[in-house]
Amino acid sequence: MEKKDVVIIGGGPAGLAAALELYNKGIHDIIILERENHLGGILRQCIHDGFGLSRFGKSLSGPEYAQAFINEIEKRHIPYMTNATVLELTNDKQIYAMTREGLKLYQAKAVVLVMGCRERSRGALGIPGERPSGVFTAGTAQAYMNLYNRMPAKEVVILGSGDIGMIMARRLTLEGAHVQAVFEIMPHPSGLPRNIIQCLEDYNIPLYLNHTVTDIHGGSRLTGVTISQVDEKLAPIPGTEKEYTCDTLILSVGLIPDNLLSTDAGVTLDPHTKGAYVDEHFQTNIPGVFAAGNVLHVHDLVDFVSLEAEALAHSAASYIHDGMLPPCNLAIKAGNGVGHTIPQKISGDMDFKLSLRVRSHYRDCRIVLRQNGEEIAVKKMKKAIPAEMIQFTVKSEKIQKHGELEVSVE
Amino acid sequence: MSESTIKKTYTCIICPNGCDIEAEIKDGEILSITGHTCPKGEAYVHQELTAPTRTIAPSVLVTGGELPLASVRLTKPIPKDMIFPVMDEIKKLTITAPVCEGTVVLEKVCGLDSEVIITKNVKAK
Amino acid sequence: MKEAYDVIVIGAGVVGSAIARELSRYQLKTAVLEKNLDVCNETSGRNSAVVHGGFAYDEGTLKARFCVAGNQMMEQLSKELDFPFIRCGKVLVGNTDEDMKQLERTMAQGAKNGATGLELIDGEKLHQLVPAVVGKFAMWSKTSGILDPFLFTVGLAENAHANGVSFFFDHEVTGISREAAGEESSDFHYILHTPHGDFKTRWVVNAAGLGCKVISDMLGITGYRVVGSKGNYIILKKQLGALLPMPVYPVPSNTYMGIHVTPTVDGNVTVGPDADLVDNFSYYGVPQENMDALAESASNLWPHIHKEDQIRNFSGILPKWVDEHGVIQDFKIEVKDDIAPRAVNLVGIESPGLTGAVPIAQYAVALIKEREELKENLDFNPIRKGITRFASCTREQQASLIAENPDYSDIICQCEEITRAEILAAIHNPLGVSTMTGIKYRTRAMMGGCQAGFCQMKIEQLMEQELGKSETEICYSRKGSWLLSGKLREEPST
Repeated sequence: MEKKDVVIIGGGPAGLAAALELYNKGIHDIIILERENHLGGILRQCIHDGFGLSRFGKSLSGPEYAQAFINEIEKRHIPYMTNATVLELTNDKQIYAMTREGLKLYQAKAVVLVMGCRERSRGALGIPGERPSGVFTAGTAQAYMNLYNRMPAKEVVILGSGDIGMIMARRLTLEGAHVQAVFEIMPHPSGLPRNIIQCLEDYNIPLYLNHTVTDIHGGSRLTGVTISQVDEKLAPIPGTEKEYTCDTLILSVGLIPDNLLSTDAGVTLDPHTKGAYVDEHFQTNIPGVFAAGNVLHVHDLVDFVSLEAEALAHSAASYIHDGMLPPCNLAIKAGNGVGHTIPQKISGDMDFKLSLRVRSHYRDCRIVLRQNGEEIAVKKMKKAIPAEMIQFTVKSEKIQKHGELEVSVE
Repeated sequence: MSESTIKKTYTCIICPNGCDIEAEIKDGEILSITGHTCPKGEAYVHQELTAPTRTIAPSVLVTGGELPLASVRLTKPIPKDMIFPVMDEIKKLTITAPVCEGTVVLEKVCGLDSEVIITKNVKAK
Repeated sequence: MKEAYDVIVIGAGVVGSAIARELSRYQLKTAVLEKNLDVCNETSGRNSAVVHGGFAYDEGTLKARFCVAGNQMMEQLSKELDFPFIRCGKVLVGNTDEDMKQLERTMAQGAKNGATGLELIDGEKLHQLVPAVVGKFAMWSKTSGILDPFLFTVGLAENAHANGVSFFFDHEVTGISREAAGEESSDFHYILHTPHGDFKTRWVVNAAGLGCKVISDMLGITGYRVVGSKGNYIILKKQLGALLPMPVYPVPSNTYMGIHVTPTVDGNVTVGPDADLVDNFSYYGVPQENMDALAESASNLWPHIHKEDQIRNFSGILPKWVDEHGVIQDFKIEVKDDIAPRAVNLVGIESPGLTGAVPIAQYAVALIKEREELKENLDFNPIRKGITRFASCTREQQASLIAENPDYSDIICQCEEITRAEILAAIHNPLGVSTMTGIKYRTRAMMGGCQAGFCQMKIEQLMEQELGKSETEICYSRKGSWLLSGKLREEPST
């Protein structure tokens, strides 16, 4: 058994940022365990640009953004292992990992959960119909194309207006496939407005809101899909069915934090985020087990993932120094119009950054954090949309010792 | 407002904020711009109105590498209507591993003021 | 014309594969022709995977007899063929007086059929067995169980293959004719026509499952009426198996088991089947209304069916032989010496065909043995070894597996912890199957929560490399189910 101050599970943007920041705070007895062949996580296949605008002040591709961190990791000789899959995490912070050197067992003082997220699959959506080949999640199609030099499609229909779906619409078009349309079940797009312009409108790919796939055809390869309009309860409206002939259906219907390891260890999850319940230190219900990035809640921008992981590293470093962190007993609830918040618990004694997503489109609204009826913090927004994560800093001065906090759209 | 004045809404694509910018336009001239939160937004609307530009970020074939492809991007935006001609040039490229991010693989692509650069390190096999 | 065979079995479902294995106990040149690209692609792999107790069939029927016999031999088969089987028992749950009467009738019928381990239990005992179940009392069948239907079939087929049987996939029998065996002789051979050439054989076994009537007609044995009963299922994620120690059924009739919830040997839960009469035997689409109805109906038995836990749906079709009134008949296993000599005809092999596969096969081979002396194959070895599953091993076993074969240290499918060693073993399976689902069912790779999102590319690449195929030749499952249309960038030809 090998002892480590911190074991970081995942070598994507969150893991890299957490490792660097821990190192810079003097915690050097750390290791990053990455299951893939290379560090970088999902950024390796996100070859489009637009990353790093807030962090580096310029528009980078995913691999470049990752490499900027990897270079710093290499420069400091921060230990990492690729092709290392964590098989098990226990609640006393033991980690079984499968590595090129065989099975390894680590005992960590602190564990950083940064495993990222995965895509919702067809099965999770429960789309009816046959089961032919040619139904891919956007990320799988992206991996085939950008990592493996393989083309998965000719005639394409896309379900879901998530950012990866729209980016894949453009990517497929540039590589010679024909993307007929993007269908979104919600009354609003789920990806960023800029991607609607530069990935769909620029290539004359129509986006239909309030539409979904209601049947899948083909006994071998996909031969077509049935599309229906949906009502305000998102139920298909009979009589609106339309057939589309295609050989490929790309799904971009949401991301789910990848918490298999966490739940086995006894980490409690928030049903709204599908990530851990954390306090302002990004600590889960298990002392010394921290989570940040997309395994905690799905982010819209990698720049925010890096920042969050750095904030986590700050707390984890204090934990290593002091053996504990100040208790957090004040809960934060998602109120009217708010889907979820991070953190879900605070101490009330220090300033913290509140992250949240709204449930629908708002204009000229106020995001208000209240405790015992009092306004604790307010953020005014010209526009608030579910596609964008909203963050603001909350000062501790007004927070009282008792009383649940609630954040709502007003 | 005279009859030839039109109001047009743009979604700025320069950064993820995606500001909705409203422009009053008369005879191809911008009279006023509202809704942008930074100077880049104003510049974007001018550009969109006169000569819209975009970037693309595909891949080029690598021989002898641990990966079959190296991702690339353009150093500067190109006119929107040049996307497919530039794509055709990029598809023709083959490079030999090892390759390093930042390497220019095509200068002045299609005679434009933009270069194709590698964005991913690919080691030799 | 291909070489001549003593026996050709049509169909590589569980029954065809079991027959092939029984035939390999004798000195016979045997082949199996299968229209799909793998074994177990139709009814055999699309069901509840339950080993039945034998109480739900009319007394004296082949269904009752083979079900009881198959149930009794399952441990031994599981040991010989190395497939997962758990004798977990099952409960048939009732609430009303009418339910109780029906369960008492089922008990009595079971006793007559020779089914053992049946007991009526009260609510308290029922909730001890299955804490979350909804119901007042139950019939407990202690001998019922669950198995992996795919690995059962693969085990039978691989063992048959190891004992000399040839398997031909993508070989649909499109016609059967006869050819005189010699100029003087009145005897004849059967010629089986396939898109890849003709096969000559003395004996034919129709184990075509859903195609049983088509083949029966080709043999000249006409007049059977076979209808399809399509059952839809939803699959719940793995974590839920812990809440369901055994299958939970409603009170059955002798023709329909009812919508039930069943744990799989891997810890998932299946919910289904309903029963729609269909005449299209190749349409496996699952309609929305059926999925909704399944969840609603089964929630009356077990309360843990939630949309967010569904990972997949599927359907299967049972071929039911019916009389002119539509009444479902027993299995038919026959040799019509007058119409089609040396042809064993199996019609309407539906549930409990999975439980009874080996007794069915023994009966079919006995029909041949009654008509012809069969010489024993002294080299027959009943043992088949499956792929060692890394995830099922203890940490110590895992360490020694890795020491033996470093490919065990490379995890390809993260959700199910399937290693490169297992994928490679599956790619080089003895039957020569090369589809993505062939790998999936042999290893469980791609069956987890991400549903192949992260690992399918790696598996596809391994298949290209190991089999020397191009990306456009890799099929997902059925013929024509191409996965990729080509490369983004072609290497310049040198």
